[in-house]
Amino acid sequence: MSEKVIQKNKMVDFLNELLKAYKVFAPVKRDHIVSFDAIQSSGEMLLNYLNSRIPPKEIFFPRSEKMFEYIRDDLIEVKEVLPSEERKVLFGIRPCDAKAILLLDKVFDSPDYQDPYYLRKRKETIFVGMGCDRPQSTCFCTSLGGAPFSEEGLDLLFTNIGDRFVVKGITEEGETLLEKYEQVFERAKKSDLDDKLNVEKEAVNRIKSKIALEKIEKRLDKMFEDSFWDRIYQKCLGCAVCTYLCPTCHCFDITDETMDTSGERFRAWDSCQFALFTLQASGHNPRMSGKERVRQRIMHKFNYFVKNYGEIACVGCGRCIKNCPVNFDIRQILLELVS
Amino acid sequence: MSKNSELQTPNSKLQTDWEPKIVAFLCNWCSYAGADLAGISRIQYPPNVRIIRIPCSGRVHPLFIMRSLQNGADGVLVSGCHPGDCHYISGNYIARRRFAILKNLLEYVGIEPERVQFSWVSASEGEKFAKVVEDVVEQVKALGPAKRLVKRKADPH
Amino acid sequence: MQKREKLLKEEVKKLLDKKQVDMVIGYEKGTLALRTTPCFLASVDDVDRLVWNEFCENNLAKYLPGRKEKVAIVAKGCDVRSIVGLIQERQITREQIFIVGIPCEGIIDRRKIESRLGEKEILEATCENGKILLRGEDFQEILKKGDFLYDSCKVCKYRNPIVFDLLIGDRVPELEKIDEYAEVRKFEAESPDERWLHFQKEISKCIRCYACRSACPLCYCEQCFVDQSQPRWIGITDNPSDVGVFHLFRVFHVAGRCVDCGACSRACPMNIDHRWLLKKMEKDVKELFGYEAGLSVEEVPPLATFKEEDPQDFIK
Repeated sequence: MSEKVIQKNKMVDFLNELLKAYKVFAPVKRDHIVSFDAIQSSGEMLLNYLNSRIPPKEIFFPRSEKMFEYIRDDLIEVKEVLPSEERKVLFGIRPCDAKAILLLDKVFDSPDYQDPYYLRKRKETIFVGMGCDRPQSTCFCTSLGGAPFSEEGLDLLFTNIGDRFVVKGITEEGETLLEKYEQVFERAKKSDLDDKLNVEKEAVNRIKSKIALEKIEKRLDKMFEDSFWDRIYQKCLGCAVCTYLCPTCHCFDITDETMDTSGERFRAWDSCQFALFTLQASGHNPRMSGKERVRQRIMHKFNYFVKNYGEIACVGCGRCIKNCPVNFDIRQILLELVS
Repeated sequence: MSKNSELQTPNSKLQTDWEPKIVAFLCNWCSYAGADLAGISRIQYPPNVRIIRIPCSGRVHPLFIMRSLQNGADGVLVSGCHPGDCHYISGNYIARRRFAILKNLLEYVGIEPERVQFSWVSASEGEKFAKVVEDVVEQVKALGPAKRLVKRKADPH
Repeated sequence: MQKREKLLKEEVKKLLDKKQVDMVIGYEKGTLALRTTPCFLASVDDVDRLVWNEFCENNLAKYLPGRKEKVAIVAKGCDVRSIVGLIQERQITREQIFIVGIPCEGIIDRRKIESRLGEKEILEATCENGKILLRGEDFQEILKKGDFLYDSCKVCKYRNPIVFDLLIGDRVPELEKIDEYAEVRKFEAESPDERWLHFQKEISKCIRCYACRSACPLCYCEQCFVDQSQPRWIGITDNPSDVGVFHLFRVFHVAGRCVDCGACSRACPMNIDHRWLLKKMEKDVKELFGYEAGLSVEEVPPLATFKEEDPQDFIK
């Protein structure tokens, strides 16, 4: 696949061209928080960012979303509410988050079930990745089969090499973009490609957290009743920061909002860290304390998901580590588990 | 973010046929009997109140009030026994503290103070009850339909 | 600081050694710069893990309700006031806890520092003599501690614990001439429209992770009103009406109990300003009922009691 170069001052032109044809989601900073949002002009996009606080999963799987409307009069009438299928560009997604979307695809687009709400938003989306030239101290993507410049799940990948980016077309869609907007790109010189390799190598070297997770699924098979969980859960507050800000967590709750004779059905993010999550109608709660809930989070990501879908449901983005109110660090848990 | 429509002064745009809906939580022992007396005595008062009988003003959870506003009440009235008269000795005293705090809190976030009102009406004060309802309805009418904290249908995608 | 930390370790060692307590709840080094993390120590050998510094931001009183064993707890001035609240509300008995009080000169607000540095990652942070030393991969920066304290610490009136079994080190001078309700008065003077817009702006950031609730030492209800599903008090969607009622009622629920320890704001991943409502509640409780939370274990929380002469001019 081809590699081109774009000068940084040409990025505005490129984005403006994209904005004419697509709805563009890009990292923006509001109230000191970086998140992905639809932009109206190229100036809104943040080029220099570490990563977003809320993962881009919310574009396809929003915190709360309407599923259908109904009227309950003499007859019950259900009105379908499906998201529109717009052509979208998700600009500036990090490779770890792109990988996370692939993991979500396994859940929402499985042979058994295809989720229309997720898929309609997901389908027509072009993923333009921004290689991660400054991995953070909390990043551990390389332990999960990812890399700061992994091309998995991306259509185009940008690599920052100083005053310009090397742009690599990865899929046909990506290539088409490179051709369609060829006026903003230049031919990549040998030195550009060398620079790119160096940036990539350097980024990989910056990742200091390394955990050998190959055997974790097997290890966890025997851990369900282990006293390990009694020890580690204690400081967990039971909030949903780790799960809501996780790019792969995908649990939701469904609720009806009825007003008079009409109503709407919604789904909204839910978290295994909440006591209510498993509360049964009888009053019994199989996950009665933080111990069971913390265990569930680890088990789901590193054991159950592997059994169901063949991969670990963690991409090593470090959001749960950075944002935990009590600095509960999943890396420490994993290190203990594999040692 | 709040829509601009929430910030317009409603008075000028009042539909002439608009009548406010007021939810009234009335204590079983005093104010509910007061309302009853007003009725028996044929005292006229505006029909805008929807009365909910409660055992004591102390039973009024702040969420009752907030939920009323969410679900489209233009005003809320809570009425109980006069201090010292509580059937349960101190329910209305405890309620009084709660209401004082809640009223200030709602006002602080920008909800018009007239939307949520309180009164003491005894079983013998049929006339007072009618007067209280008249006042509340008049004040809420002047404000126009409630806009803030009202739960509206979500926008489609 | 280091002196206090050393003293803390010595005293805690004695407590565990003499079996005066079964467990100690304190802080240990975290895995991130500008942070520490809560720890639970039962053995003398572990005591060296304890730390005390300007990054001990969590309110450990959170971990007290429901404990069966005798515990020692490391507590700052604000944390002690939360503990007093928990004792008042019978969530723990005074006899069951050993309060290791630590005079505190303010905790550093990591978010303020992070937003000052923009998109640069801080790898190491220390604080000495009123200066914060920050180091990242390609930068170093020295900031004045006073400029980066938590807002709650800037108006703290109880830097020295008021109830304790043991005080670590000398008392620190209390702040003078603080105007803790300046912000509240500023908002009160604004128009209702402006206040409503501010309220809407703050709650629009909310993702309903309930970290504010979960971090609050006084939120110990077995089932929270927001989790209740029969009846469902509050919708779970992002409808601003429901999000607003969640925040209003959470604040109402801690009225007269909140000690402005700042735990909710610190836990919030979306930087919501929780204190503008909480401080208002605190001010009203003080003005209306003459009560300040967490000062005496004998007192009853103000919304669980009354005086005949309580103000009632707002009642018709």
